[in-house]
Amino acid sequence: MPGWTHRMAEPLLAIERLSVAFPTRRGLVQALQSVDLSVPAGGALALVGESGSGKSTVVLALLGLLGRARVDAARMSFDGIDLRTRAAEVRGRRLAVVFQDPSSSLNPALAIGRQVAEPLVIHGKLPAATARVQATELLAEVGLPRPSALMDCYPHQLSGGMKQRVAIAMALAAHPDLLLLDEPTTALDVTVEAGILDLLADLRARRGLSLLLVSHNLGIVDRLCDRAAVLYAGRVVEDGPVPGVLGRSRHPYTRGLLAALPRPDETGLLSPIPGNLPDLTAPVAGCNFQPRCAFAAAGCEAPQMLTGADHLVRCHRAVALEGASWPAPAPLPPPPVRDGALLVAEGLSRRFGAVQAVDAVSLTIAPGEVLGLVGESGCGKSTLGRLLLRLIASHAGSLAFGGEAIPNDPTRSFRRRAQIVFQNPDTALNPRQTVGTILRRPLEHFGIARGAAARTEIARLLELVRLPASYASRYPHQLSGGEKQRVGIARALASRPEFIVCDEAVSALDVSVQAAVLNLLAELRQSLGLALLFVSHDISVIAHVADRVAVMYGGALMEVGPAAIVLHPPFHPYTQALLSAVPVIGRRARDRLRLPGEPGAVHPGEGCRFALRCHRQLGQVCLEQAPPWRDLGDGHQIRCHISIEALQELSQGS
Amino acid sequence: MKLFWPGIAALSLIVLAAIIGTWLTPYDPAGFAVRLRFAAPTFLHPFGTDEFGRDVLSRVLSGAHLSLLIGFGAMLVSLVGGVPLGLFTAFNRGWGGTLVLRVADLLLSLPPILLGLLILAVTPPSTLKTIIAVGLVYIPIMLRLTRAVAMELLEEDFVQAARARGESAASILAREILPNAWPPIIVECGLRVTFAILLGSALSFLGLGPQPPASEWGVMIAESREFLDQAPWIGLAPGLCLCVLLVTVNLVGEGLRARLDPSHG
Amino acid sequence: MTAYILRRLLGVVAVVAATTVLIFGIVHILPGNVAYAILGEFATPSAVAALEVKLGLHDPLWLQYWHWLSGLLHGDLGQSLTMDRPAGPVIAEAVGRSAILAGFAFALVAVGGIGLGVHAATHAGRPADHVLGLAQLIFIGVPDFFWAILVILVFASMLGWLPATGYSPISDGFGAWVSHLVLPVLVLAVGLIAHVSRLTRAAMLEALRSRYVLMARAKGLSERRVLWRHAAPNAMLPAITILAIDFGLLIGGVVVIETVFAIPGLGRLLVFAIEHHDLPLLQAGMLVLTTIYALANLAADLAYAALNPRIRYTASA
Repeated sequence: MPGWTHRMAEPLLAIERLSVAFPTRRGLVQALQSVDLSVPAGGALALVGESGSGKSTVVLALLGLLGRARVDAARMSFDGIDLRTRAAEVRGRRLAVVFQDPSSSLNPALAIGRQVAEPLVIHGKLPAATARVQATELLAEVGLPRPSALMDCYPHQLSGGMKQRVAIAMALAAHPDLLLLDEPTTALDVTVEAGILDLLADLRARRGLSLLLVSHNLGIVDRLCDRAAVLYAGRVVEDGPVPGVLGRSRHPYTRGLLAALPRPDETGLLSPIPGNLPDLTAPVAGCNFQPRCAFAAAGCEAPQMLTGADHLVRCHRAVALEGASWPAPAPLPPPPVRDGALLVAEGLSRRFGAVQAVDAVSLTIAPGEVLGLVGESGCGKSTLGRLLLRLIASHAGSLAFGGEAIPNDPTRSFRRRAQIVFQNPDTALNPRQTVGTILRRPLEHFGIARGAAARTEIARLLELVRLPASYASRYPHQLSGGEKQRVGIARALASRPEFIVCDEAVSALDVSVQAAVLNLLAELRQSLGLALLFVSHDISVIAHVADRVAVMYGGALMEVGPAAIVLHPPFHPYTQALLSAVPVIGRRARDRLRLPGEPGAVHPGEGCRFALRCHRQLGQVCLEQAPPWRDLGDGHQIRCHISIEALQELSQGS
Repeated sequence: MKLFWPGIAALSLIVLAAIIGTWLTPYDPAGFAVRLRFAAPTFLHPFGTDEFGRDVLSRVLSGAHLSLLIGFGAMLVSLVGGVPLGLFTAFNRGWGGTLVLRVADLLLSLPPILLGLLILAVTPPSTLKTIIAVGLVYIPIMLRLTRAVAMELLEEDFVQAARARGESAASILAREILPNAWPPIIVECGLRVTFAILLGSALSFLGLGPQPPASEWGVMIAESREFLDQAPWIGLAPGLCLCVLLVTVNLVGEGLRARLDPSHG
Repeated sequence: MTAYILRRLLGVVAVVAATTVLIFGIVHILPGNVAYAILGEFATPSAVAALEVKLGLHDPLWLQYWHWLSGLLHGDLGQSLTMDRPAGPVIAEAVGRSAILAGFAFALVAVGGIGLGVHAATHAGRPADHVLGLAQLIFIGVPDFFWAILVILVFASMLGWLPATGYSPISDGFGAWVSHLVLPVLVLAVGLIAHVSRLTRAAMLEALRSRYVLMARAKGLSERRVLWRHAAPNAMLPAITILAIDFGLLIGGVVVIETVFAIPGLGRLLVFAIEHHDLPLLQAGMLVLTTIYALANLAADLAYAALNPRIRYTASA
């Protein structure tokens, strides 16, 4: 891997001046503008970018599967084969691909075995029986348990992680030289992602595969690749060795991305990139990042060249800005947490059919406090959030808010004081109402303001979430994702609540936008004295926003305590595993923990529900007895059989 | 579908013809003229005359409103019956909603023509009964569709946001559900009209709709069968008009679908 | 899967049972005196009274229903009033002829509709697709009874190639049997082919737009294999649902077409029973028709389950 450079004799894959345009109703969208890339044999190139950067378009262009798009390139060659005309010859043979969402890229009507064996039969010309044997071996190679039983299963019977392993096995079946990975772990939990990344790194070493990884996640780029190209709005802005690009980035955009990226080992405000993607129907000749750039200066309007020796950058100020860092926002004063309890839940439980989604959860949130609730998909964290708002009825347990008991059918006063912000900005707003109508409704419903007073209040709310007052007349489809999320926050704020549940409120947003929304929430919480329950699968985000953290597994809390104590360093084996699975730039992967089994695999019966996946499982006691809550002081509580001393010792070691 | 506006224009023309058409023709649609029996189409009688010497064009025009009435009336019946019931079953997950749903499923498990035959067989047929019988067939379909759309919307976050404000069911219905539910319902209506006209004219053809001397087109075609060899125009004229009406309605329905249903290519 | 089949069979029984109530209810509860309905408005009061006694109309409704139902359970479909014969054998004969007509038409609809739909989808945007789209638009809009009159006019009256109406049993010669069936089968099928192909095209297009088809193409498979091995099996599921719906429309078509072509099948029998106010025959005929439709829906459900791994592998759970 090391030792190869950009200028090696003949790369395996060479792309020069690749441009792709999609005809749309709005005009020609210039998705890629003169992109140069190369992957040497055995190399691993990462193509980094946020949504709209055009990174997936590169993959489809290489495969010759862009359909009606206009593709134009000076050169697109794969081991001497011109992909512009002969992509069909290598596609699925020497050039294989793994797409983002394994749930939609595996055929629901075909058995796993048939799908994996297909390339062996069609391209390898193997007889069906031999192909089946080899396909079974491939399933074993990608780390799937009981491969021969899996052969006759259908995709819907497998978990997301298993499906992605099947997709990788299917790609390997063609014996490719180059594997294209299009966001291969984005749809998966971190603990599952970690396993897939290990597998890919292992396959690369063992099979001598070359990789082209397309990702928005800089952490996995660091984990898997040795070279990275950063794509912004259809143009490569930086291209160099991974340590250089991520460690000593030269382009302002890359620096901005890194500054906006939350890390599990850091707290405090992130540095967002202001603004939105440029209009791709009318690309400018000069730097297209300039309107959002903190370092923009005279000369940025001129066309920029990708220059440099091994670490290339498309910015005329690159040398002048050497060492400059993206401006950080002013730090906030300490959080206004007050003593006492705003919200107290005791033994809240909720079942869905046979599934105990939330099992006897007790927690307290103080006025002005941010409680981060973290866990893998399906652990019941969203359900818990909705139980706390009485949006779904609880089957057992009690809830008190501001000292009053809140029944399953709560009063209007509780509704006014406790609000919610949703994950998906696209479904959170009624598409048939203007922003003004959306914000006016809670004002009228709770009798806060009417008529002219309501208009003033709407303007104030928009200002609170940093949107211009003119947005009141816009419809949701006229807003970007981040703007929609701000409107969603403004709607929650309209009733002047004391408590807001943020249900994965930034998960659907790009890193640069996510940082801005996170900062907005932090500021609002500061100025309005809001208490938040911040629900997220992303422990890095939690680390940046939460005063206290609650870790949830299989419907129950595993650990609760101040963020600084719970996460730095982690105590509970599950918290440890969650933190360890996050791919962090600059942290080598060797010492990372790997959880066996599937997210949410709950050990049935009386024992610890995490016992089956726990790397520190003590044996019988964990399997048969419910773990006790242990108090470690400072409000830090842990539910584990391992003694406090042993946990402290272990956490020092990690 | 690029033929949406031509479809609307043609449909408007047909509706216009149905309303004022009979005043434009010089003949009484019910006027017998024995000497003019079975006259082939001429300039004076563009569609010829029938076995009683009645002007076929005048009859076709005077019957146009019946086909339109049955088609759009039945659609209206299914809309008025199906949409509220569908919303009811989406909101009411108790025994009331379940009962309505089961009855709808039962009606859905009958062949569409059967209900019409059954109702029209035991009571004297009339235009209104045909409308109701055809509409009744489509009520469960409209109910199912409305229910599915409403249930999907109820899961949307913006509806959850309304619930988090403690909005009443009526308010959620009026502000959040209905404004988003009407496009698929309108699309379905557009497609239903075609089938309602087809089913209505088939029932009329069988003698279970408007009764002679009403010149409903299905009735006219049924009556013309006796004279098919002798004077084919008596049946061809209303038949072709029926086809033109159906294709027009179809164009409008498909156009609506293309406009309102983004998932449809 | 066995549990699934059993559950669906129970569903069919429930539908038929509920239909007996519905049919009986509509016939006996709707305004209008049954005896008058049978005898017409000029009947003498004594004739009405005699018929009422004969039909047991003075018994309470639930008892009348019970008599009818227990008869059904014993295989007695009732007595036709006009023919003065048990309705069972009359219906059985008619069902046989209708089955031949509907069977051929349905086969044509399934093969033609799906075939043309797939062809249109795979040639989307090309001339073949536009021609088919236009044909579908028009053919859906031609009522089958008008088709019937057109083809009779052209092929029987003008060209004299085929008999205009009537039915010839196969025992009277294969040629005559076929020649009497050609026009009604074609007329029955044509509108439904348009309908099925239109919806199949949409289903196929959706499958072709899916990620798994993109994946299949990325695997370097031939377009034919992508189409038939990857897209088609998924598009077949909606196609089955469409065919089930169209079977219901086909039943409506059979009633009309048998009337036009004077084919003595179940549809013609129902219309005859309506025209002659033969309510017992009507009730029995409708019940048989509903049962056939329920069984057809069952077959569609089973085919759907057999093709859909999601049902096949979770039905037993």
